[in-house]
Amino acid sequence: MFDSQIGKWRLHFRRFRWYGVAVCCALVILGLNSIAVSQQPITIKVLMSALEATQWQPLVEKFEAQNPDIDLEIIEGPNATNLVEDLYTSSFLLGNSPYDLVYMDIVWTPKFAAAGWLMELSDRISEAQSQDFLAGDLNGGRYQGELYRIPFRSDAGMLYYRQDLLSAAERKPPETTEELIEISQELQAENKIDWGYVWQGKQYEGLAAMFVEILKGFGGFWIDPNTQEVGLDRPEAIAAVSFLRETIESGISPSGVTTYQEEETRRFFQNGKALFLRNWPYVWALANAEDSPVKGKIGLKPMVYAPGHESAACQGGWGLGISKTTQHPDEAWRVIEFITSAATQKKFILETGYVPSRRSLFTDQEIVAKYGHYPQLLEVQESSVLRPPIAQYAQASDILQRYLSAALTDRMTPEKAMAGAATETRNLLGR
Amino acid sequence: MKQDTLRAREQRTGWLLVIPALLLLLLVYAYPILRAFGLSLFSQNLGTQLQPEFAGLANYSRMIADGRFWQSIGNTAIFTFSALILELVLGMGIALVLNQTFRGKGLVRTIAILPWALPTAIMALAWTWIFNDQYGILNDILLRLGWIETGINWLGNPTLAMVATIVADVWKTTSFVSILLLAGLQSIPQDLYEAHAIEGATPWQSFRQITLPLIMPQITIAALFRFAQSFGIFDLIQVMTEGGPAGATEMVSLYIYATVRRYLDFGYGAALVVVTFLILIVVVALAAYLIAKLRRSTGVET
Amino acid sequence: MMTQRKFSVASLLLGLAIVLVVLFSLGPIIWQFLTSIKTNDAIAAIPNVYFPNPNQLTLNHYTELFARRPFFNYMLNSFLVSILSTILCLGLGSPAAYALARLRIPGERILLALILLITLFPYILLFLGLLEIVKALGLGNNFLALIVPYTAINLPLTILVMRSFFQQLPRDLEDSARIEGYGTLKMLVEILLPLTLPALVTTGILTFIFAWNEFIFALTFITVENMKTIPVAAAQLGGSSVFEIPYGTIAAATVLGTLPLVLLVLFFQKKIVQGLTSGAVKG
Repeated sequence: MFDSQIGKWRLHFRRFRWYGVAVCCALVILGLNSIAVSQQPITIKVLMSALEATQWQPLVEKFEAQNPDIDLEIIEGPNATNLVEDLYTSSFLLGNSPYDLVYMDIVWTPKFAAAGWLMELSDRISEAQSQDFLAGDLNGGRYQGELYRIPFRSDAGMLYYRQDLLSAAERKPPETTEELIEISQELQAENKIDWGYVWQGKQYEGLAAMFVEILKGFGGFWIDPNTQEVGLDRPEAIAAVSFLRETIESGISPSGVTTYQEEETRRFFQNGKALFLRNWPYVWALANAEDSPVKGKIGLKPMVYAPGHESAACQGGWGLGISKTTQHPDEAWRVIEFITSAATQKKFILETGYVPSRRSLFTDQEIVAKYGHYPQLLEVQESSVLRPPIAQYAQASDILQRYLSAALTDRMTPEKAMAGAATETRNLLGR
Repeated sequence: MKQDTLRAREQRTGWLLVIPALLLLLLVYAYPILRAFGLSLFSQNLGTQLQPEFAGLANYSRMIADGRFWQSIGNTAIFTFSALILELVLGMGIALVLNQTFRGKGLVRTIAILPWALPTAIMALAWTWIFNDQYGILNDILLRLGWIETGINWLGNPTLAMVATIVADVWKTTSFVSILLLAGLQSIPQDLYEAHAIEGATPWQSFRQITLPLIMPQITIAALFRFAQSFGIFDLIQVMTEGGPAGATEMVSLYIYATVRRYLDFGYGAALVVVTFLILIVVVALAAYLIAKLRRSTGVET
Repeated sequence: MMTQRKFSVASLLLGLAIVLVVLFSLGPIIWQFLTSIKTNDAIAAIPNVYFPNPNQLTLNHYTELFARRPFFNYMLNSFLVSILSTILCLGLGSPAAYALARLRIPGERILLALILLITLFPYILLFLGLLEIVKALGLGNNFLALIVPYTAINLPLTILVMRSFFQQLPRDLEDSARIEGYGTLKMLVEILLPLTLPALVTTGILTFIFAWNEFIFALTFITVENMKTIPVAAAQLGGSSVFEIPYGTIAAATVLGTLPLVLLVLFFQKKIVQGLTSGAVKG
């Protein structure tokens, strides 16, 4: 009870700031500024999932040791990403956000920026300073040309393959979608493996993330953020959907993929039941763990693409922005500088196995010694493609997911589904 | 003259007593509904930097082409009518049982209203646990009975998830229906049945010919209340399925909530509110008309 | 002989029906309670453990609830919000109900019809407008953002129930009070209030239950962990762990969150039934 009262008072504190200013002025006038209030450390608050909050703890301690004037307070939220987003959204919407920093998934950036909840950061970081960051990850922090988010840990989709089986069959890992189908069918026919290719086909955000890779690999696009043009009903997009359907129809992918998220596909692959897997970087460590049946038998490479086009990896990742309502933007920026610095990232990555947002770290000796596949990962990251950085991304993604799922589960033809998705998306964007 | 001033004073006091409550009702009910009508003519979303821009009927024309809206209307209709029918049938059965005389009647009645009183959101957790695909007691019972071979993923399958949410809703609200119907049953004079039995009617006949017509007003009122509440169902679904899998259990209320809270699309959300409100009003008006007709035909004063 | 057998078949059927009603109503609650006192191993056992052995019993889920989350705060918040809105609701609703029952105000019938109509409104229709009000008044993370809507939501039922109660009171009482020179307000407070205490308790309990159970406003207008109410806090326990869903802890939260209401129903069953029927049917 008393705790909540204090909490309430803290939240209402800002209302009394003029009172505070007046008191300060009075003290200054009285020449008492030597004992004024500002000696207390300034508190910078940020919300993140409980899981990641524990992983951040060593960083927080180090930061506070180096910056005694700042008290970095991590508030533990739920572990589900969408609930954290909801919490940030609610607190900004209600107009009294208690957070100074915003720790965000890359796809939230345009929404939060368009809503006017984030501070522009372009002036705080120089061209040279931003050079080291992965271009895709940094661009994911931009909205209408302005920078709002500095990347901390990165993420990208890629193709995992069974090195042992490919070598035995004297095949190279596939570059194109056609090769992927061909190799799968060959090895399945020889009973070397049960299934060819597993991917995330359930109706959820992961489906959209997977699809942008295939879409780009077929030369198509979803939404052009500059012109608001929608490309979902173009032949390239329909060809991309048809490819995904073909993997199921030709028996390369189990029909269950349309209900799979990342974890289902990883277990499938890890239990040695599939030749190829589309997934995120976290799979590497788990698939190479001691108890994994495919330990030491796998490789990774950028995603396959249609002949004549190029590979694309869906850009994911987390970064920091500054809340527009914060009283302490400069202190918040100092936190960002510290957290996203090469030294901090390196420490964090060596401990947790996440992917850095700085190019130089992928080839860092110590990191490579521990994670030998990071140089390949850099190759994947450099081919990254963004999900459309538009303010209404969440809505657009839900529209695409619904129609794509209908097409993949054979409730609609690809043409009809994509036409529907395109129409609804255009309505949404007011075009 | 004196009578008139007394009357006027009485009226003044009356208004004085009514007005505080009325103001609060206006603030919490009238303002949001009127505001929704106004806002539905504007675009106010992330595309407009959350600033309102007049858009005429654009939100409504967008709704016509919005597959998700129609799907949610369809889901809501399926959910509402399935739940409503099950609740009325079950509620009637329970009311008939509670209307008998037996020992421990008070206790049984207390138990029977318990589900109604408990928080929906919390009991939705309990139902999620019952329907759990691995450790759920429902699968366990079905397995023990030998009716199924492997556990069913109730909340992971579009059709079964709908069934599961309907079952949970029926559990939660049948007690409300049975309370209302029981009150109706108790108001029927016993000698009506006795007279009917002497004429040689079977229990089923007297149920059809006496009970049903006489408690029709209570049935209609219970149905009306339940219709309105099921139509706006939120907490149960939000906790059990969040509208999934693949939107199969997404109700209009969840779509409205997502549109406002997640998409920050206030204008379109307002248009959704308006349409939902209008559907509700039409159905309620129909029901009110029915009740009035029933009251006239049965002559029951309630 | 014949009638005896018929009687026993009927009573057997009735007995069966009663058992079914009890099982149907209590089943989910009992199962949740049993889950909450089982060890994690017993919870995850297949086939299910229905009644745990002594060595499968634990109170860990309850202690964990209080250790990991400010669960005591949640309970207090729910109590505070529910009690305050109940009091406000009775304070505003009873005078209005009296006026609608006794004092002839023009437009009374229309007012009553409107009040009856809005008892049917789903809260989701109000949420967008209320969000704007809460935002404009800076009431986010303030209990007033819950207390005011809860009061308003329960006003219609309060007015309807109290009105039907006032109508049942003998008019003589008020007439003689008037003759003795009481004004309307004084008479309300000194003579009618003590008489209406049972009705106030009835409607108060209903209001309390509604307020305790409300979800959507509590989910939207409160974001600070310490200020959450029970239903929202319990529902969000589910999403708090990626790797393992804490079934036992959720079950414990269910038991604690519903306990106050179970007690209310146990003690006030008659009043609840009376309130609901007079509110819904007589209106």
